[in-house]
Amino acid sequence: MRPSALRRGRVADALVGYVFVLPLCVLVLGLVAYPLGNAVWISLTDKYVGYAPRFVGFANYTALAGDPIFHKVVRNSAVFTLASVAVKVVLGMLMALALQRALVARSFLRSVLLVPWVIPTVVTALTWHWMFNALWGVINVTLQTVGLQREPIAWLGQPTTAMAAVVTANIWRGFPFFGVSLLAGMQTIPRDLYEAAAVDGASPAQRFWHITLPGLRVVLLVTTLISLIFTLNDFNIVYVLTRGGPGTATHVLATYTYEIGFQALRWGKAVAVSMFLMPVIAVMIVIVTRSLTREE
Amino acid sequence: MAGRGVLAYGFLGLLLLVVGVPFYWMVNTSLKTSAQLQSLAPYYYPSPATLGNYAALLGTTNFPIWIRNSALVAVGGTLVTVLVSSLAGYSLTRIPYPGRRLLATAVLIVYLVPPTLLFIPLYTILRRVELVNSLWALIVVYPTFTVPFCTWLLMGFFRSIPRDLEEAAMVDGATRLGAFWRVILPLTTPGILAAALFAFTLAWNEFLYALVFLHDTELKTIPVGLNDLMFGDIFLWGELMAAAVLTTLPVIVLYTYLQRYMVEGLTAGAVKG
Repeated sequence: MRPSALRRGRVADALVGYVFVLPLCVLVLGLVAYPLGNAVWISLTDKYVGYAPRFVGFANYTALAGDPIFHKVVRNSAVFTLASVAVKVVLGMLMALALQRALVARSFLRSVLLVPWVIPTVVTALTWHWMFNALWGVINVTLQTVGLQREPIAWLGQPTTAMAAVVTANIWRGFPFFGVSLLAGMQTIPRDLYEAAAVDGASPAQRFWHITLPGLRVVLLVTTLISLIFTLNDFNIVYVLTRGGPGTATHVLATYTYEIGFQALRWGKAVAVSMFLMPVIAVMIVIVTRSLTREE
Repeated sequence: MAGRGVLAYGFLGLLLLVVGVPFYWMVNTSLKTSAQLQSLAPYYYPSPATLGNYAALLGTTNFPIWIRNSALVAVGGTLVTVLVSSLAGYSLTRIPYPGRRLLATAVLIVYLVPPTLLFIPLYTILRRVELVNSLWALIVVYPTFTVPFCTWLLMGFFRSIPRDLEEAAMVDGATRLGAFWRVILPLTTPGILAAALFAFTLAWNEFLYALVFLHDTELKTIPVGLNDLMFGDIFLWGELMAAAVLTTLPVIVLYTYLQRYMVEGLTAGAVKG
């Protein structure tokens, strides 16, 4: 082919490339980028459903800064997220290590253990709601039957136990994701590293600390950050299990945004609540994106 | 060495128990009458088991309509997703043009933008185009999270296909479109299947958007319908758990059938873009 024909071919090719990626661009610009920009604008207005918005500057943000309920919601979100993710990481790591050792039925066990992550979150929350039921829930009845507890506990009706309950349901759903991802990460670590370490007389703990953990650095970072982002924004489990209650004991940013937006109908303030997370999420997104694209 | 194997299987057994108990309890509850649920003799298994909850759920509630709605939305959303993300995934990995890397990064960023930030502004858009309270709202909106995820997933699959194959086809006179259609797509079938499965599951499970964008009972999807049922006044746990079983079943069937692709897809996405 002559150079000009080659170039024409490349240009035509690039054109096909743009056409193929166009629907994606329309979707991203129209239904993600534009709404995000719009969210920033709404949060700077006093938008109330049914009325035209008026620009109020940072009034929503300053109002939230002095709002004790909002402070409580932020603290709840932090507790819910950090407790859930910490346990998910540890359980997931143990699951991956155990699967790594399990030579028989490994892929079967991996698939079965991933099931909680696949089923609808509302079903998960509903089932735990029933298991935590004060009178006839399996948890109370069993604890009473084996004699660990005399009186039934209203798990979802007391602040501390309600928080523990939503964290439990979240962990149950989320730890398999860590297990499966970390196992995949472990399988990319070269075997001869372990063999060399064994020859040098390294203990299992030393091998884990000096080979496995460094080898999992990127996977661990990425899965933890992804989990942090989605747990920080979890709505389903908290909403179905406790509606944020009792009182505001388990209210998190997502349920609070929903309540202000669709029960109090104050969109300006509601969007401002969710906007508080933007900087944190943006930082985490940048780190994930960097880690995942650097390898290529 | 044998000792650690025992430890590993012991721990996995414990995890199986933790994972299994809620499922057992779901099924057990769904097979009991309300009277049996509020009695201790026997408590841990249904005796006699009854399908009454399933009959009541399908005969006296809106559950059948919710199934239809969920199916329509999930299938519609999946079709859009597979079309958009296979074209985009191919374009972003195989055709050189300026701005490609930037777009690929944008896909990842969009995947990580949580719905909590988007549901109110999306509501205003949907109201403007008069799609609020219509199943179309969900078919339009669900691709915002299924497409980025599936595009990212498919990019991994497209990258794994040897470049020579399509180049050979194109030297033989096939156009880019022809090469994509006849050479690349057939080779990517497992990836597309995994993407479709993910898209279907994500749409089938979605709760927040469905809760916010649809108002009429006849338009609700299963997760929202279940949430409504739960907060009624009556003791409905038998029916609710029957609904939980029926909602989970299609996902588990799909998953059992295609789990290899799904686990592969998940790990491909998590471990390496």
